[in-house]
Amino acid sequence: MTSTHLHSRSVEAARAASALLSAFRLGAGQTLAGWPVLVGRCIFYVILLIVLSALWDKVASERLSGTLAGDLPPGGLALYIGVTEWITLALPAVHLKLEDDIRSGGLEPHLLRPKSYLAQTFSQSLGAAAVRLTALGVTALALLAVTGREPPALEAFPYIVVLGVLGVVVGVLLYALAGLMAFWARRTLPFQLVIQKLMFLLGGLYAPVTLYPGTLEGVAKASPFAAHLYWPSAQAIAASWQGFLTGLAWQGLWIVLLSLACVRLWRAGLAKVLREGGV
Amino acid sequence: MSAVITIANLRKRYSYAKRGRGLLGGFSLRHVSIDAVDGVSFEVGRGERVAVIGPNGAGKSTTLKILSGILEPTSGEASVLGLTPWRDRKALAYKIGVVFGQRSQLWGELPARDSFNQLRHIYDQDKAVFERRLGEMVERFALADLLDQPVHRMSLGQRMRCEITASLLHGPGLLFLDEPTIGLDVTAKAAIRDFIRDHARDHGQTVLLTSHDTRDIELVCDRVIVVNAGQVVVDQPTDQLRKRFLGRKVVTVLSAGPQIVVDLPGVTRRASEAHAVVLDVDTRLIRVEQVITAALAQGGVEDITIEDPPMEDVIHDIYASALAVR
Amino acid sequence: MIAFVRLYALQAAAAVRMSFADRANFALQVAGMFINNAVFLTLWVLFFAGFKSVGGWGFADLALLLGLMMTIVGLCGTVFGGYRDMAISVLRGELDALLTQPKGLISRLLARESLATSWGDLAGGIIVLGLFADLKLADLPLLLVALTAGLTVYLSAAISFASLAFWASGARSFARDLTDFTLLFSSYPGSIYEGAVKVIAYSILPAGFVVMAPVEMLREPGVRSVAVVISAACGYAALAAGLFHLGLKRYRRGASVA
Repeated sequence: MTSTHLHSRSVEAARAASALLSAFRLGAGQTLAGWPVLVGRCIFYVILLIVLSALWDKVASERLSGTLAGDLPPGGLALYIGVTEWITLALPAVHLKLEDDIRSGGLEPHLLRPKSYLAQTFSQSLGAAAVRLTALGVTALALLAVTGREPPALEAFPYIVVLGVLGVVVGVLLYALAGLMAFWARRTLPFQLVIQKLMFLLGGLYAPVTLYPGTLEGVAKASPFAAHLYWPSAQAIAASWQGFLTGLAWQGLWIVLLSLACVRLWRAGLAKVLREGGV
Repeated sequence: MSAVITIANLRKRYSYAKRGRGLLGGFSLRHVSIDAVDGVSFEVGRGERVAVIGPNGAGKSTTLKILSGILEPTSGEASVLGLTPWRDRKALAYKIGVVFGQRSQLWGELPARDSFNQLRHIYDQDKAVFERRLGEMVERFALADLLDQPVHRMSLGQRMRCEITASLLHGPGLLFLDEPTIGLDVTAKAAIRDFIRDHARDHGQTVLLTSHDTRDIELVCDRVIVVNAGQVVVDQPTDQLRKRFLGRKVVTVLSAGPQIVVDLPGVTRRASEAHAVVLDVDTRLIRVEQVITAALAQGGVEDITIEDPPMEDVIHDIYASALAVR
Repeated sequence: MIAFVRLYALQAAAAVRMSFADRANFALQVAGMFINNAVFLTLWVLFFAGFKSVGGWGFADLALLLGLMMTIVGLCGTVFGGYRDMAISVLRGELDALLTQPKGLISRLLARESLATSWGDLAGGIIVLGLFADLKLADLPLLLVALTAGLTVYLSAAISFASLAFWASGARSFARDLTDFTLLFSSYPGSIYEGAVKVIAYSILPAGFVVMAPVEMLREPGVRSVAVVISAACGYAALAAGLFHLGLKRYRRGASVA
């Protein structure tokens, strides 16, 4: 490659990045503009944590011998759930946005522009997620302070934040897959519900997957759903550098695979729209 | 004049499966085809302002979609600014601006300014150039008060001004407009028409617009292409068309007593009922004002409506005369 | 009374037919919700495999709770589906058209919609009750009491929350949220609630009376437990009717926010 070629390529890349950053800011702005909904979400988070930590504290206090309850760490799993719900509630409904745009012809303005709709939408969703993660994170810390519950170890926080953000990226990609089904199905809700329940089950929403029987634990850990929930949240129970690296590796793998899957689906759907003028 | 748009024998066929009726109907499918565009050919030169008009389902929007690259034709060729639209969609996107009357391209919950900024990044616009263009249009369209208002709180007229501004911020040489004045009140329509025409003239921009409103054609475009049932029926300069078809008004007079009779040159009685008469007025021969005065002079007038002739009638007349010429 | 029920049945049947209209879509939604519930149940199966009990509640008890709840939500969504978006109807001023008609405003609002996904809940609920809840045939009468009472409380709570819309326009999504919170509280073994949380669960977000008290009634039947369940149902129904009519009066006066 000649230097001018390289230069024009890098200019192109800088421009693409700037457009994505702008979309990110747009998504953040939109979420901030709808702050009453954001507040409602934080309230829901608080109530959810109250209920779920009541569950775990009850179980932990029973400590029935011969059961897993006897092996629970002190403080139960309330912290674990704090992180899983932090990630879950921060996920924007990207499947609904995709469904809406695809089925109502709302793709047209985007197709008339020189930037990729998929990349722009993805970036916009991450912007929305960033605001939610921040709001919910502040809520969680406030709740910890108010209830006097012991927080995770200090060294766990950077791990939780990094893996948590990447976990949200995985989640957005998973929901995007559901949303892209709108090219062929009228409602994406069933797909999203199935994915969400797999997130809960194999991602370990209510309990770490380490509590599952043998093979299920293995399957869960290798799944994208664990990359979404389990690996970030496990740091809340026991912070470890090794756990962080393992989680990072799984998340990296799944982000690549899911992105490819999304691109594939998008291209197939786009070809359909360009051919038929709609869905 | 170099050709900015060239279409040759463009065809678009839509096929869909029609279900049979009843419980077992779900198992019998009939395949139905519609030729939305059926052999359309024309050229548009640089700086021309062309209107594409026709009744609903005539193929206007389909043609526009093909030209802007978001729809693939079944057969035929098209070249827009040297590019094949459906193959070079993204490259073409930098060079064209598109406005859909019925679909917004802005981000609703956010202030208009944010939408414009987002578009600056999408189109890789230099900040200084962008600010200058935006400034020009803000002044021209009186948008200063609207910049910080969320788009979904604007009236339709305000929103359309923002939509058109958005489509021009990257300085496209070609502008596609699909029903830009639909649903707007008279003042808003006038503002938009003036802007489109003046902006195009000042910047040497080529404009292709579709519309149901004959005034859009008269006041903005210098050439008219009429399509009907997927085919081009007439392709003439506006002047010529105006002379023959566009100088008409339809006046409906409702009376309490017997029907009003207006017997003046240029006035034809179209249809009538006991207390209502519909008059066709040729405005090149007589002013509407004179017709109204004559009607009022007879007394007993309860209501007068003045309307443009329906597009279908105009098309029909155009078509009929086109046949007659052949 | 019979005429009223028949009228309601007709309206609800029309709403159900409408939700059937797109068969593929309907099937997809039902299947999706069914899988959704199956996974949810699996989570609990795994949980109890490892933990055995929560405050005295075993898996069968939880299955009874979940089965009741899914059946109640299923029945509400299919036959009284309008409950979910009632607040929105009030806020959009959609009551105006309905108010001009002779009778039964609440029932019209409830009957106007039928949610496809609720059939998945209903089916799931019945299966869970049948297979996992450790019920005997003799329990059937009490089960019906539990379902009727629980459904009444849930529906009444939803109507009460929706009635808030007569007073505040922010109630639109809040009403839906409150109903969801009630559902949330109803999805966990009642034994975990203590103190202030327990008070809330038995009053404002009446999860206690939607499912927890009915579960206790079925496990330990007796005059007292039955009385508690039935009187709670009557109480909440009265509250809902009262709130709604108060709000309606306000609306009719033109004082409501629209």
